[in-house]
Amino acid sequence: MLQSQSVQLLCLTASSGVPLFSRGSTKQLPFSIIGSLNGVHMFGTGHDAALSCCETEQGGHVLWRVFHDSLMLIGVSSNANVSELHLRRLLENVWNCMVLVLGLDELANARNVERLKRELRSCYGLIDMLLERGVDDRDQGLMGDLTHCADCILLPQPDLIQDTLESFTRAAESSPNVALRLLCFQLLPGVIACVLCGPRPSLYQVENEQVCRFWSPLAENLRSCLDHAERSSLSPSVSLRRDVLALLLINRESRRSVTSLSTKATPHLSPARRWELLRLFYTFAVTRYFTSEESPSSECPTAELLHEEFSSGFTHLPVHCYLVTDECKCYAVQTPQHQLFLLTDLSVPTFTLRSVATHTLDAVTTATGF
Amino acid sequence: MAWVAAGSVMVSDWHRSPESREYFSKILHKKKRRKFGLLEAPVMPPHLKADIVRYKVFLSGKSGVGKTTLAARLAGLDMPNIHYETTGMETCAVFWPVKLRESGRILFFHFHLWDCGENATRRFDHMLPSCKEHADAILFLFSFTDRGSFEDLSSQMSRITEPSDRLVRLVVGTKFDLFMHTDVTERDITRFQEVLGVPVFRVGGDVSGGFGEIAPLLNALAENLWHQDCMHTSTSVPTVPSNSGHIGPEIIV
Repeated sequence: MLQSQSVQLLCLTASSGVPLFSRGSTKQLPFSIIGSLNGVHMFGTGHDAALSCCETEQGGHVLWRVFHDSLMLIGVSSNANVSELHLRRLLENVWNCMVLVLGLDELANARNVERLKRELRSCYGLIDMLLERGVDDRDQGLMGDLTHCADCILLPQPDLIQDTLESFTRAAESSPNVALRLLCFQLLPGVIACVLCGPRPSLYQVENEQVCRFWSPLAENLRSCLDHAERSSLSPSVSLRRDVLALLLINRESRRSVTSLSTKATPHLSPARRWELLRLFYTFAVTRYFTSEESPSSECPTAELLHEEFSSGFTHLPVHCYLVTDECKCYAVQTPQHQLFLLTDLSVPTFTLRSVATHTLDAVTTATGF
Repeated sequence: MAWVAAGSVMVSDWHRSPESREYFSKILHKKKRRKFGLLEAPVMPPHLKADIVRYKVFLSGKSGVGKTTLAARLAGLDMPNIHYETTGMETCAVFWPVKLRESGRILFFHFHLWDCGENATRRFDHMLPSCKEHADAILFLFSFTDRGSFEDLSSQMSRITEPSDRLVRLVVGTKFDLFMHTDVTERDITRFQEVLGVPVFRVGGDVSGGFGEIAPLLNALAENLWHQDCMHTSTSVPTVPSNSGHIGPEIIV
């Protein structure tokens, strides 16, 4: 998914349509098109119509979203593989990253456009990372950008790490009410400890005193977690069926997720392709069947509810769905607490998919308590 | 503070000598620089023991001169291929083995590089003091392609440091490879070194990640920091060495 090649992101002031920045695609859209995209949205607003998305016959999308009546983000994609959900999540993620760096107040009450333009530059690194997601191998298996759940790994003995993390955050005076700074410490390549905290203690102090004090005794432990996480984010006590190719399990209450790729060789589907299929199937399932995850917010009525007549024709919400493609079979289960998205080998008979999925869900949740 | 001539305290070009190979191999991994997490450090076999001495180094300079790229170059990290304003503050660690000329003793210098985006220093008052807090050295950066950044150097140096600060000050000119577009001449540099008494180093161009380009700068940094500590200990009451996992230079002199 070479998104950066095909997705362009525009940011404008909502009231006056002044362009603030444009990221993504190497070939920038001409100013006149940016103006038209803004104009058509403004036209709708003037007639009490919310323009949220449009789609071309070739599968391209344009998505508009206004945040806090202050800034508008427009996502333009020419790639049919980039779904509308994906694009919408991208706009939300970009907005959230701007809030993280500059603060909501700065964005919602922008007074000086030139200054805002300059300050937004410090978000470019993060925004481009979001645009390039999926290009890099190291992102594989991370779904948080799409699911808005925290990607987790389930460790065999998490207590020691959990205790250390708690002592460490206490020592750094972390309290979510005074989130002035986000401190990230690269303990080992691939292991980062993050703390949200107020103005004290200083970075120097935490880095030079507390990091070593709390984490040094766990260095070996963290290394073995890394090895483990490379193979799977599930703990080794879970054994998956040989014909399960990949899975995504979401805990709906805690908004956390784990993913796993079977280690058994499946020569015709590369790991990268399996991750991609898992993302596509997730998108398919939550936009068509498990639509409750996509609750309409006041700012953006979800497009599905506007044009998807299929699900609205039923009075119930589907709890299972499946899909058979020429590469794999897919099955999703939804319970009040969990959602499981499963890819299996084509050799699994379609009529057994349901029991494979429910057994897998039981096996994983029982073994890990996730 | 007068700066120390190259090679007067430490063996210069030591990275080229066969004797140093085992030490430098500890900062390499598969022929590239090894990336160290905060919990890691080079570990030598018992018969080649080398102590680690730690210093904090702040990179200062206008937005876009290449502070992040210099840090990446010195630490052997991937260099950004387009310019991004640094979001907030970033630190990274550089380990560098050196050999003291007189005693023949071998040390690993641990330079903790602090780099901060210019917008961040403007938006948040605590950034600049935090970068300067406990700093042992400041690298002042200018870009060979931006004359403004060179002319701003002396005012920048007086703005963020006091003459009484116990700090090693070095100047680094970045993007030296773009000499076709250079805005700063050799004569400018020579004059600057004479007037301010601060050495100027040139970097840029080498993307191979070899030691050739960074060695003169890292060696000079190490020599000057070492010299500064020696001068300090000889003029003040020696401090009691702490046992905080590393040996301060005070107890070795």
